[in-house]
Amino acid sequence: MKTLTHLSKSSNKLIVAIFIAGMSLSGCATQTLPTSVDTGSFSMPAYEQLKLENGLTVYLMPQKEVPLITVSAVVRAGAVNDTTSGVAGMTAQSLLLGADGKSKSEIEQMVDFLGASIYADAGKEGSYIGADFMAKDSDKMLPLIQSLLLSPDFDAAEFDKLRQREIAGLSQSKESPRAVISRYFDKLIYGAHPYGNASSGNSVSLAELNISQLRAFHQSYYQPANTAISVVGDFDVHQMKSTINQLFGRWGNSDEVVTPALKYNQPELTESRVLLVDKSDAIETTFLIGGKGISRDNPDYVGLKVINTILGGRFTSWLNDELRVNAGLTYGARSGFIPYSEGGIFRISTFTKTETTKETIDLALKTYARLWETGVDQKTLDSAKAYVKGQFPPKFETSGKLAGLLSDMYLYGFDDAFINDFQSKVDGLTLTEAQRLVSTYFPQDNLQFVLIGNADKIAPIAAEYGDVTRIGIKAVGFGG
Amino acid sequence: MIRKLSALIMVAGLMMTSLVTQATQVQDIKSFTLDNGMEIMVLEDASIPNANMYLFWKVGSRNEVPGITGISHFFEHMMFNGAKKYGPKMFDRTMEAAGGANNAYTTENITVYTDWFPANALETIFDLEADRIASLDINEKMVESERGVVASERTTGLENSNWRTLQEEIKGAAFRAHPYSWSVIGHESDIAAWTLDDLVQYHKTYYAPNNAVVVIAGDVKLAEVKALADKYFAPIPAQAPPKEVKTVEPLQKGERRVYVHKASVSTPNVMLAYHVPSTSHDDYYALDLLSSVLSTGNSSRLYQSLVEKQLAIEVETYLPMTFDPNLFYVMGVANPGITATELEQNLIAEINKVAREGVTEQELEKVKNIKLMNFYRSMETINGKANTVGTYELYFGSFEKLFNAPEAYGKVTPADLQRVAQTYLRRANRTVAVLAAIEETDE
Repeated sequence: MKTLTHLSKSSNKLIVAIFIAGMSLSGCATQTLPTSVDTGSFSMPAYEQLKLENGLTVYLMPQKEVPLITVSAVVRAGAVNDTTSGVAGMTAQSLLLGADGKSKSEIEQMVDFLGASIYADAGKEGSYIGADFMAKDSDKMLPLIQSLLLSPDFDAAEFDKLRQREIAGLSQSKESPRAVISRYFDKLIYGAHPYGNASSGNSVSLAELNISQLRAFHQSYYQPANTAISVVGDFDVHQMKSTINQLFGRWGNSDEVVTPALKYNQPELTESRVLLVDKSDAIETTFLIGGKGISRDNPDYVGLKVINTILGGRFTSWLNDELRVNAGLTYGARSGFIPYSEGGIFRISTFTKTETTKETIDLALKTYARLWETGVDQKTLDSAKAYVKGQFPPKFETSGKLAGLLSDMYLYGFDDAFINDFQSKVDGLTLTEAQRLVSTYFPQDNLQFVLIGNADKIAPIAAEYGDVTRIGIKAVGFGG
Repeated sequence: MIRKLSALIMVAGLMMTSLVTQATQVQDIKSFTLDNGMEIMVLEDASIPNANMYLFWKVGSRNEVPGITGISHFFEHMMFNGAKKYGPKMFDRTMEAAGGANNAYTTENITVYTDWFPANALETIFDLEADRIASLDINEKMVESERGVVASERTTGLENSNWRTLQEEIKGAAFRAHPYSWSVIGHESDIAAWTLDDLVQYHKTYYAPNNAVVVIAGDVKLAEVKALADKYFAPIPAQAPPKEVKTVEPLQKGERRVYVHKASVSTPNVMLAYHVPSTSHDDYYALDLLSSVLSTGNSSRLYQSLVEKQLAIEVETYLPMTFDPNLFYVMGVANPGITATELEQNLIAEINKVAREGVTEQELEKVKNIKLMNFYRSMETINGKANTVGTYELYFGSFEKLFNAPEAYGKVTPADLQRVAQTYLRRANRTVAVLAAIEETDE
């Protein structure tokens, strides 16, 4: 396969020359209209947003290309609300263990027989339950989702089995550094702040969990005024409105929802630190480098998407070009912002064989420094703008992706303007503005590192980048 | 790499004509063949202002020989490294500056290049593809840095995926003659050793227009695609057809076993692989449905008998689409406290149960519904459409077979599932691979 997923990067030798030209022109760059490549127009598909009397937010978006429906409910509660690590995640997953007297097995038989699928899980700030099914099966699947969301049984025997599988799964996921490295990084950046919480919990905390904690979590957060339901697919809006009203209209609220003050007490990153995670039989080093990022409602979200595209968001991005194409050190290198509602992280990610760990980290840092040392040139900016615009529509092509977008709008408080103004925001990005985004948002000092690899071999290298904390990959914590 | 592919390919499945409303139908796909033998299929779909081009080349690791294992996949990488008009790096730079993105993948059978772009960049994409098909310029320096990239791809696969680790070993044991014996990524020593000449020869032989199927789906018009194909692809000369793969794997006459040691594995992983016929064989549909009965959804046989009973934390099956007879894979990850032997015995017991007792009508109907749902999902995106159409063209001989699939799946009976289980999922036809943290000793 050419790349693991979408990677990016950009040219190198030309950059310096072009940048010099760019510098001398930067004064007028703000006065001339930025160039733009026409990538066709794309806008938010039509939908209706309603609020039921009980406060439940409902989005209905018809999509008729295939006779399928996606329904997705999001509750504003996730790992940030954990009192015991993993309670949000286990509560969400336990919704599928039986409801309204129907056993887990009966539900699974029914769902599979229809060719449908259901899922439930919690992320950092949201808990999700949803289903995909054929439109003709709405009368079976929508009531099922209602039961699972509103009246889960939290069967003790099934919970024990789920918990045991999850604990075993945590150990198993640590066999793949790529699968777990983000959990270590979140913890390194956010420490005891709720954004450091891993929704997976850890083997000790899961073992301590009990059903009454799940019930309490469900009661506290799974309330209509704290939830949005999105239905996207092949249905009649009028009819669906009445179905949703019938199924969810009588869902009552209980106590007021307590939301953690996520904005405050976020740790300051005052020195470079390295979390060295030992996997003794590792044949490569997997690493993340970064710091704090932006929140999802940041007005510069779109502009930063463009700048990050240049740094590490596509195949020709600087990072992928230097580390992969020029140096052959890795199969892929990238960077990205991961936004939360009141914070976020930025990180560079890649991997390389153990022997080239230092060379790769140094080259990643050197390449990252180009943001400040040489900056972005007009040609690369134009290319990145075309790229993010051209790749935007397929991100919202399926009912599932559109339902995800609506859920995110609810959770993170943005609206249609994100889709409808996307192209013009991208088109309007100038070099001067790009410069401002670099200096305002990309963490330049006190970088944080997570390295997963053979610690005996790479410990001396790790020490070159900051104060090292060494742990074994099998140690409890960090989402495992 | 390969398993990701399965997810895509396996979505191409059943559909019942009576239920088809808005979804794509056979007459929506227009096809034509250029004089040089290149087959092109077009699917107009204006739901988003984007389009794609999927180029399927009939070359994969089955076309390799010892000494150049992995070259098909390596070649896939080299196709991005410079041609006559667009030199090194310019393929990606040009495409991305036009708003496009791309990727590619290689399997045992085929190499596929995928371009995703705003529809108005269609001509740029034709120009880029034609340049690298007609006039690839293999640059020595790029070959060397790409060796490092592919070595890293191989390493990161083995580091992060137990499936990859086990599959590589089990193929080596299950095939002793046919090229399916080695992994698509190739042997480490071969990755370091192939020469510029090997690569030049490979391009000439396999990247000929008569060895390709091209699918374009999205916000395009047939006439526009035809005109561009005439301009850019038609002038590329055809080549003598590649040599056939003649080796037939000798009949396996008894169970084979492989053990792989990896210290960081938390519980044993067990993989079973049974020889099965190619995708064009009549038994494909029954085997595909049997795979679903065994492992799709929590109501599946293996989930119920192993995961629910806390013997395994994960089970799956995989039936790749394939030109030559290949393998039906079954894999389980043991629950803590369960030995590799217990896991293996339970997996086998459940498979033998199907052979002995068959499956129910209801189970069969369930997996047919799952296939239908998967078909609709694949028809929801222009990428799903292009991939599915190309896949059917290659593995079933015609994209029209996609629309005969309902009938083909519909005809399958519970007795067929039992028969294929008895015929293929037998001990003597099986290879077992175990991955565990405890090193084997003679003590």
